Formats: sequence, C-alpha cells, structure tokens
Amino acid sequence: MKRQKQRPSRDGLSEQAGYFTVPGAHLYTVLHKVTDPVARILLVGSFASERHFSYHPWVRWARYLAERRIEVLRYDYRGVGESTGIFEELSFEDWSEDVQLLADWVTARSPSLPLILHGLELGAILAARCFHEGRGDALLLWSPPANANEALRSSLLHWAGLEQLWESPENRSSASEYIRQLEHGSSIEVHGYQWSSRLWRDSFHFGLHASLENQSSSSEAYGKPVKLVRLNKDAAPLVKPHLMYHQVNDLSWLYSTSFDWIANSLALSTIGPNERSN
Amino acid sequence: MKEAIETRELFILGGGDCIVRGTHHKASNDCYYTRSTPANRDRIGIVFLNSLSPTRAWKGDASVYWADSFAACGYSSFRLDLPGFGDSQEDPPADLLRFIDRGGYASMAADKIKELVTRFNLSRVVIAGHCAGAITAIYTASTSRECGGLILLDPYLHVPLAPRSRLWGTLTGLIPLSALDRLMASIFDRVLRLANQPPRNSNSALLSRWKELVSGGLPILIFNTPTNTQRGGEFDYVSYILERAGSNSQVAVKVIQGAYHSFANLTGRAAVRQHAERWLKDYFPLMKDEEDSVASLCSKRSDDESQKKTYQNCVHGLPLA
Repeated sequence: MKRQKQRPSRDGLSEQAGYFTVPGAHLYTVLHKVTDPVARILLVGSFASERHFSYHPWVRWARYLAERRIEVLRYDYRGVGESTGIFEELSFEDWSEDVQLLADWVTARSPSLPLILHGLELGAILAARCFHEGRGDALLLWSPPANANEALRSSLLHWAGLEQLWESPENRSSASEYIRQLEHGSSIEVHGYQWSSRLWRDSFHFGLHASLENQSSSSEAYGKPVKLVRLNKDAAPLVKPHLMYHQVNDLSWLYSTSFDWIANSLALSTIGPNERSN
Repeated sequence: MKEAIETRELFILGGGDCIVRGTHHKASNDCYYTRSTPANRDRIGIVFLNSLSPTRAWKGDASVYWADSFAACGYSSFRLDLPGFGDSQEDPPADLLRFIDRGGYASMAADKIKELVTRFNLSRVVIAGHCAGAITAIYTASTSRECGGLILLDPYLHVPLAPRSRLWGTLTGLIPLSALDRLMASIFDRVLRLANQPPRNSNSALLSRWKELVSGGLPILIFNTPTNTQRGGEFDYVSYILERAGSNSQVAVKVIQGAYHSFANLTGRAAVRQHAERWLKDYFPLMKDEEDSVASLCSKRSDDESQKKTYQNCVHGLPLA
C-alpha cells in the first residue's frame, strides 16, 4: 500500500486549537491541519474521567494520522476539560449532539473527502450513533462498550479501587456503595466529576445499535466500512489499567494497524495525484 | 472555530526553543473594562503549572475551576501545558518525576512566565502547582523575577530513595535485608528526627530553594490534605522551614479535611478557592476601581438570569458566593 507521510510541523502551529459553539457551551477543539488531505477523521475520546489518563496516546494518535495526510479534529466533551458547560447538567443526548454538530462541520470543510468517525470507549458509542444517523464514510471503534453503563461501571470500579488507595479512609467508598447511592437518587463524585442518578439511569439505555454488535454484519448493514477493535492492557494507558499514564507508551502497533485499515477500506492510496510511497 | 470566548482565550507562547500552549481566563474586570484600565497598574496574574497530570486542566478539571473563580474575582489566570504535557509538542522526559524533582522545568517555565508577563501586560504572577507541579513552582519561583507568590497544593519535599546497586539487588534477592541493616537505618532516622533534621530522602536542593524563598518573604499559601500530612508525619518539613524562616516569613498553611489528594472533589476545590481568594486579596489587593468593577459586575450578573447562567458556567456549576 502506498502512503505519504507528511513532515510533522516542528513548531506545532499546524495544530489549531479553538472553541466550537454548541447550545449553551463552547467545545474545545484541536484541528490537526494537513496540506492536501486525503481524508478527515473526527476523534471522539473516552468519557470525562478517562480523558485525563488517555490524553497522551490520544494526542499522539491524532498526530500520527495527520502525518499521513488525514486531517484530524479532536475535542473535549461538553462540560469536560477545556470545554465549557456544567457537567452535571449534561446528558448523553447532549454529548451525542456535539458529535453530530462537529461531524457536520468537518464534512462541510470539504464534502468530497471521506470522513471517518472514530471513537474510544464511551466515545465509540457516540461515534457509532452518529454513524447510524447517516454521517461518515467509515467507522472505527476502539473498545466499544455494549452500553454507556458498562463504561460508567468500569470507571467507577477503577475509581473505587486503585485510585482511592492513596486517599484517607474517610474518603474511601466501595463501588457497591456508590452504586447504591446512585440507585437511591443521590449524586456521587468520581475523579472530581458529579455523576447524577439521572446519568446513571440513562446510561443503561444509551448503547450501540443492534446492527453494530457484530463487525461482519455491521459493514453489510451499513454498506460502509466498520471496524471494532477490542483493546486490552497492552493498549494502556489509552484504556485501563491507566498505569504510568504520564509516560509515553509505544502504541505504534495499534496506530499502524488502525491506519492501514482506514487506508485500505477507503482506498486512500488512489487519492491524490502527488501520492508517492515513503 | 474561535480562539477566544467571552471569558477565556487560547494562546501560544512561541519564544525560545519550545512552544507552550495555554488558556487565559480573563479577569472579570478585563472582560468589560479593558479600555478604561490604566496601563501602569499592578496587574497580578495567576499561573497554573502542570503536575504529573497530563493536561493543564488537572485532575477532575480542578485548575479550570480555580482559574475561572480567580478570574471572576479580578485576577487574570493562565493555565499552561509545559513541554511533555497536554497539547504541547514534545514527549515528556523518560523519568518525568526525577526530572521534576531536580527542577528540570524551572528554567523553561521561568522563561515562559517572562514571555507571558510581557504579552499580557502583567507586573507579577503567583505560581500555583499541585504535587509535582508544586515542586516545579518552587524551583521556578527561585529563578523567576516575575514571581510574586506561590500557591502550593500537597507539595512534597522528599525524593524516592535511590535504588540499590545491581549487585546489592542481586544479593538481596537471595538474602533478605538483614535485621541489623534495618535497625541501623531506623536508628539513623531517629537521630535525625531527634535533631530535627530532614531525613535521608529529603530533596536537599529543593529544601535549599524553599528556605531561600521563605526567608526572602515571598508570600506562600500551602494546602495540605490530611493524607499528605500523615505521609509527611515522618518529618514535618513545613514546621522545619517555618522555624528557620525568620521574621520575614509569609507562609500560610491550610489543612483541608475531606479533600482528596487532587483537591478535585467538592470539598477540596471549594476550600482551596475560598482560602486562596482571601489570601490573594490580602497579599495582592486589587485597586479600588478594580474591586468596584468586579463588584459591579457581580451585581449586574446577579440581576440578569441569563448572565448568571454564563457566570455559573464559568465555574463548572459551583456557585462563587
């Protein structure tokens, strides 16, 4: 397969940070601009507390793609990180709306180029639902949970376990106690984010569409390329366990296989008159 | 895409060898009164440096919350991604913690703060850091002429004990650490403690900078969690320094009950905000006209429900009262 690797911008100025307006808030976005792109991709990252741990490999994945002429847009969820908004007042529907608005914006930049929707964990559900609505030309999912509750429960177990080892006893709670509080209508704090009981309840009903539960049937159902990748601890700190998340782990194996799938499934090597191999 | 919204703007510090990205939380009086601002007033900025947390938002977006609230009080606030963090270009050093413990970021952070001060027309800054970020803040303060104060959250003044040699490791893999060795180490530590001297694993370079800053009268506000205090129970570094600081010392220490190490929980973030705002007003008071404009703005906002909503947005849903 032919691919052209673009020289990364040494000064980083090709990465354009900005705010994108959505109802009631501004989303923090970073556009990894590319000269003469062959495709565009919208990266939908993992949920609030996971953002912190997966940030390094997520940014590096964006840069990996940009170096290979795929223009990237990544962003922070509404009410999370650099984006504005009140986290505890937001819902999965709000975050779903963000993905759709961003996908439309990316598409409008150059409608002739293919758009890949790519999500990680809870972001995979958001990307998949946007894809199901008819947006995007390909869908790449890393560790999609069956529903949002699976993602929340996993974060909660991590928070109530490993993360609280360093805290004083009065600040520790078991996962079952947290779940009991949520089920009784109380809010809880997870990594500094207020989870409402409404969020917990909604999470059971916010999941992948049935047609996306199986990879082979999903490509057929949508008539577009779809790839589901289950990540294990080798992909940490992108996924749990988030050990040594402040260091850079070599995830080039994941990046290269995922990029190859994108390039092959969208036949990117045939695009562009100046294409040449490395 | 916009680089600025009503309360914030994104910026790049591109001078020198590296690029630093950051977010500026506009002081509430700046948002509305910039044109009437005298150019020569004493403008204090609050700068948040990275801890081991990968992004400038810090864990649980705590720094975003404090930057919003300080800005709402009239203090422009800046959150930076130093090289190796967040959206900056470089990878972090291989042994990041050791690099930070040795003051690896100090010189570069001081340069960037100088650039920031010029660009945003500040006179001085208060540097805020959490955990490893507090270590960088101390080192940076000792080299930065622009630093007028420090806010330190759960700082630590020790380093991990150096690993034993390979030979020793091999031997101790076969033979357990002798009781005699353990006893000798314990006695040595007790002697140091009795003499009120820092233990063997104290970060002596950092302690030295820290003593200089305290003796020099730099206003410093320290927040500790009970967990950090208990960990430091082996040796009370803060008391040790305060006892030797002399009459110039302007160090305030607050232990926040119920706060997590990250201070990102409701109790932690609210207590830090409350104490820090009071401390800022004591040591870096706003000029009368600035205070009036902040008060007027707050009053105007409380009258206007839609503006109040925006105001609450600024602080991630927690009221500022």
